[in-house]
Amino acid sequence: MVTYILRRLLWAAFLVLVVSFLTFVIFYALPSADPAVLRAGARSGNQALLESIRDTLGLDEPWYVQYAKYMERLLFHFDFGFSYRNDASVREQIFDRIPATASLVLGAAVVWIAVGIPVGVVSATRRRSWIDRIAMGAALVAISAPVYWLGLVVLYLFADDIGRFPVFKGSGSYVPLTESPAGWFGSLLLPWLVLAATAAAFYARLLRGNLRDVLSEDYIRTARAKGLRERSVVWRHGVRSAITPVVTLLGLDIGILLGGAILTETVFNIPGVGRLAFSAIRGADLPMIQGTVLIGALFIILANLVVDVLYGFLDPRVRVG
Amino acid sequence: MSRHVWRVLALAVAALTALTWSACGGGDAATGIGAGAPAKGKKGGTLNALFANDLEHIDPGEAFYQPDYMMVFAVHRPLYSFEPTNLEVASPDLAAAPPKLSDGGRTVTVKLKPGVRYGPPVNRTATSADVKYAIERAFTAAVPNGYAPTYFGIVEGAPEPGRKKPTDIKGIETPDEETIVFRLSESSGAFIKALSLPITAPVPEDYAKRYDAETPSQYATHQAATGPYMIEAGKDGRITYEIGKRMTLVRNPNWSAATDFRPAYLDRIELTMGNEDTTVAARQILKGKGLINGDFPPDPPVIKEAVQRRKSQITFAPLGNRYISLNTKVKPLDDVNVRKAIVAASDRNALRLTRGGPIVGDLATHFLAPGQPGFEEAGGMKGPNLDFIQNPDGSMALAAEYMKKAGYASGRYTGSETLTMVGDDSGVGARTAEVFQSQLQKLGFEVDFRQVPHDTMFSKFCNVPEARVAVCPNVGWLPDFADGQAWFDPTFSGESIVPENNSNWPQLDFPAINEAIDDAKKITGQARRDKAWGKIDRMVMAQAPAVPWIWDKQANIASSDVQGAIARWNAQWDLSFTSIK
Amino acid sequence: MSADPLLAIEDLRVGFRTDDGLVQAVRGLSLQVAPGGALGIVGESGSGKSVAMLTVLGLTRGPNAEIAGEIRFEGRDLVGARESELRAVRGRRIAMIFQDPQSSMHPFYRVGRQLVEALKAHQTMTRTAARERAVELLALVGIPEPRRRVDAYPHEYSGGMRQRAMIAMALANDPELLIADEPTTALDVTVQAQILDLLARLREELGMALVLLTHDLGVVAQVTDEIAVMYAGEVVERGSREAILTAPEHPYTWGLLRSIPRLDRPRGEELVPIAGSPPSLLAPPSGCAFHPRCPYVREAHRRVHPQLDPAPGAVVHDVRCLLPATTRRRLWRELAAPAEGGAR
Repeated sequence: MVTYILRRLLWAAFLVLVVSFLTFVIFYALPSADPAVLRAGARSGNQALLESIRDTLGLDEPWYVQYAKYMERLLFHFDFGFSYRNDASVREQIFDRIPATASLVLGAAVVWIAVGIPVGVVSATRRRSWIDRIAMGAALVAISAPVYWLGLVVLYLFADDIGRFPVFKGSGSYVPLTESPAGWFGSLLLPWLVLAATAAAFYARLLRGNLRDVLSEDYIRTARAKGLRERSVVWRHGVRSAITPVVTLLGLDIGILLGGAILTETVFNIPGVGRLAFSAIRGADLPMIQGTVLIGALFIILANLVVDVLYGFLDPRVRVG
Repeated sequence: MSRHVWRVLALAVAALTALTWSACGGGDAATGIGAGAPAKGKKGGTLNALFANDLEHIDPGEAFYQPDYMMVFAVHRPLYSFEPTNLEVASPDLAAAPPKLSDGGRTVTVKLKPGVRYGPPVNRTATSADVKYAIERAFTAAVPNGYAPTYFGIVEGAPEPGRKKPTDIKGIETPDEETIVFRLSESSGAFIKALSLPITAPVPEDYAKRYDAETPSQYATHQAATGPYMIEAGKDGRITYEIGKRMTLVRNPNWSAATDFRPAYLDRIELTMGNEDTTVAARQILKGKGLINGDFPPDPPVIKEAVQRRKSQITFAPLGNRYISLNTKVKPLDDVNVRKAIVAASDRNALRLTRGGPIVGDLATHFLAPGQPGFEEAGGMKGPNLDFIQNPDGSMALAAEYMKKAGYASGRYTGSETLTMVGDDSGVGARTAEVFQSQLQKLGFEVDFRQVPHDTMFSKFCNVPEARVAVCPNVGWLPDFADGQAWFDPTFSGESIVPENNSNWPQLDFPAINEAIDDAKKITGQARRDKAWGKIDRMVMAQAPAVPWIWDKQANIASSDVQGAIARWNAQWDLSFTSIK
Repeated sequence: MSADPLLAIEDLRVGFRTDDGLVQAVRGLSLQVAPGGALGIVGESGSGKSVAMLTVLGLTRGPNAEIAGEIRFEGRDLVGARESELRAVRGRRIAMIFQDPQSSMHPFYRVGRQLVEALKAHQTMTRTAARERAVELLALVGIPEPRRRVDAYPHEYSGGMRQRAMIAMALANDPELLIADEPTTALDVTVQAQILDLLARLREELGMALVLLTHDLGVVAQVTDEIAVMYAGEVVERGSREAILTAPEHPYTWGLLRSIPRLDRPRGEELVPIAGSPPSLLAPPSGCAFHPRCPYVREAHRRVHPQLDPAPGAVVHDVRCLLPATTRRRLWRELAAPAEGGAR
């Protein structure tokens, strides 16, 4: 087990390396804005100024030298560098933003699990009933609804500043948990619901399909033939099996979203990693792009690892020695 | 989005000499709202300005864009600064009086007000040496300043920018703590105007030195205020600018109202960043309390709604121009008649509709915007007496005539060249470009239209002469300050063409115009200056290097309980004059 | 056959509504199992034998199922029984094991836990007691080292052990009737025999009745007293093991007998598969259901549906065939005498 995890961690490190390399290459290969120019204050054509900025930022060196220096700082000092745009420490900025994104994503995950799983189970066990039809219809709507649009609709309906029914805290109301737990909870309610909507629908559909398949398995027939209650049959035998792909997906989704839930963060003005990444891309801010991409990749890789280890616990057949 | 254009335009060259200070209220022409002295406000209260993006640079030596200025001018006091209603004449701020020119305008002497003190942690009086240091540090790599070489490069002994350490500029003398003397290599009106840029706000060398020793400088997060407000500091002494989140301005305890023309009504100003969905933010402002817009203009639907139902909450401020540049170095646009034909064919009404119609600005007939000195001299609203700019809907017949003059007998382009056009890939800019593309096609041109992000459009294409882009449909200009030189020197002087970050997009290099610009720079009388720059506007227009199509009015909105004041020179709210009702 | 059968099925009909129409899986099935008796039901897949037995346990119920007829277990009707009543019967009075032990156990739970679950579904007992009983049960079905194996997962068992574990699970609550649905089909030949021996032994030791469903007459021959042959949802022939194996009267039974290898037949004799394929249950053949595949079919057989009639002269032997009895016996004699009727 330990060697397995170690091997996976090594692999993860390699992947991060590849990701960072690709980010670098893409940044230099694609036409984008020139960071030196952006920093000089757009229209200054003064060559000496541009050159000194390039010198300061290390932009005058070939890209592979820049990359090597970057990796050296990263690997030996855990230093992500400074933003081209506002000189802020990339590491500080990212770590500063993670709590907000984590609050958003983990809270939403609770919501989408709490909604998606029961709905999926009920739909699977009462297939073609009105409750199944309504649930799956709603799921289809939720899946098709773009998060951004849904966010706006919800704000215009329920936000306490611009909504028709001012019930919940609106955009820009985010407060860190450490500052005020109640404020934190209130400000995140709508974002949680919005971010969770699509996922809940997706999970419900996935679970419904899986559970349908599982419920036609032989061992479900065995469980019934034992005289177990239907509830035990469905939950302990059916859901137990059908949930494993859902857990896998959950791990990956959380991993991906921890790297930034850009749209939800944007609509609700939550200062998370996603918005940081997005504005970095817009501003040709390579160190910040690199930092956010690496952190995002790290989350995804870690999530993968957790999922794989967890999978061993969930399914004894794939347990590793 | 267009914000970039406006941020950018805040830089340019310019000049107005001594006369600027003597008066000449300037025409408040077409603008209406925002003019007139701001009403007196009530003291106290908290204002919250919503920003979509972060402030770009908050160090007074680096600050450059409109939103930066909004904050910086409430926290710092340059030698001169503009009162909200005044577009042309800067008032003495840290300075005690208008500058004294001698030696044919080559020596500029400024007296400082006594007793202007820094806020904590510096807590001492600002001196002339601090101003000298502020300018010197702006030539270092640690404090990259885009306009320092442009305006202050003519000071005797000014170095090339990008120095490792601040170097003593011999041409800036401080005979005593309240006097600063600039010795210039030539007289320059623009220099005088530039004394109102935040580069002249004092920076205490003894305190700032250690922060400036780092590259980039860390003074931004430790800055000392001289203005009525200062950025709230955290326990570690660093100012609490939470990037992407917020910044809080509080009263500067060492500021004395007696030394300042700013009323500074508010007790506290919150700048909240990250309101990237500007429609949501705009609605929050209109429906909420104590809110104003920071860096973003409201979207056209919000503007319409506000104009119809909340007229008192919206204010328009004129700002720059937008034009479509035609590269005079690229065939067949090197033929002036072809360019005139294109201008003649341009349906400027259709172009303006892509941004929202008359509500967003006036149809442009030349470059200098309404209210700017020289505007009337350049032809006013009606424009210069040139037939090809007369018809706001474009005239295909006239265009055909010019095409014939250019040697295309059919009145349409029949040559083999394809026009390369590079424009925005999203937003209203993309729509403008598409409309113009179809107008070009009507004249018979083949257009190769590349759509890229706004910043890329500039830094990789339109700003790089080597890229040989024929048509840049999404350019425009917002001058650093209201002066013809700030409008025309960077944009239409052949001497301004640089290999990168070039802003003379048409690459116009017309000897008569270059000469006229050179001469006009040296003119020191306001009326003569206005006349000269107005004439240059006409000369440029006669060469048809671009299609000017709109003079923008920037909409600013505020909550119903906010008594806002627009800084006309910045086309944004003036934090030091705005109050809560 | 004694007076009070343990299980009596009378004219059972089971159909499933599908998008293509009604699948008539069981069409008027009648049979009885005496207490402690052993009945083998033989038929190809799709003959309705599994559906009929699942219906006994109420496991075919559903919104699309049509169930008619009577199922009496110890005199109580199971067709109309409430779900809770059925649940009390399932696993407690009637247990069932299935063809594929690999897929019939939950892959994620330890064998012991699945045994305990079966116990606790019907009895209140402590965890340790249940566990002890689980170990006992594993020992009973001949699993070596049961105390260790009780904590293993199904995938750690061999196929034969899994089926033994399934049997142990079925025996957990001392059922009166064990239904074994193709219990050996998925196993190796040697293991098959062991499992069949086990079933026979357990039946004897525990005094429970056994219903063995199989497509293989050879299998039932080893364990059961009575045999019923099913085709297209109905019984086509039934009788004592002796009668069916030595004097079969139905051409389908003949086919079944000739399609299995037998030790008492000369080597080298060709196994003759039954020609054709099982009938569609959406539209079962008219007349005699076997007629499309019957080599002795006559015109009338396509129209007349034969009844299950006693074979003349036999005590416990019914057959559903339109051929005259004399003809049938002559034909079987010819078939059963390979030396004379060599097919080559």
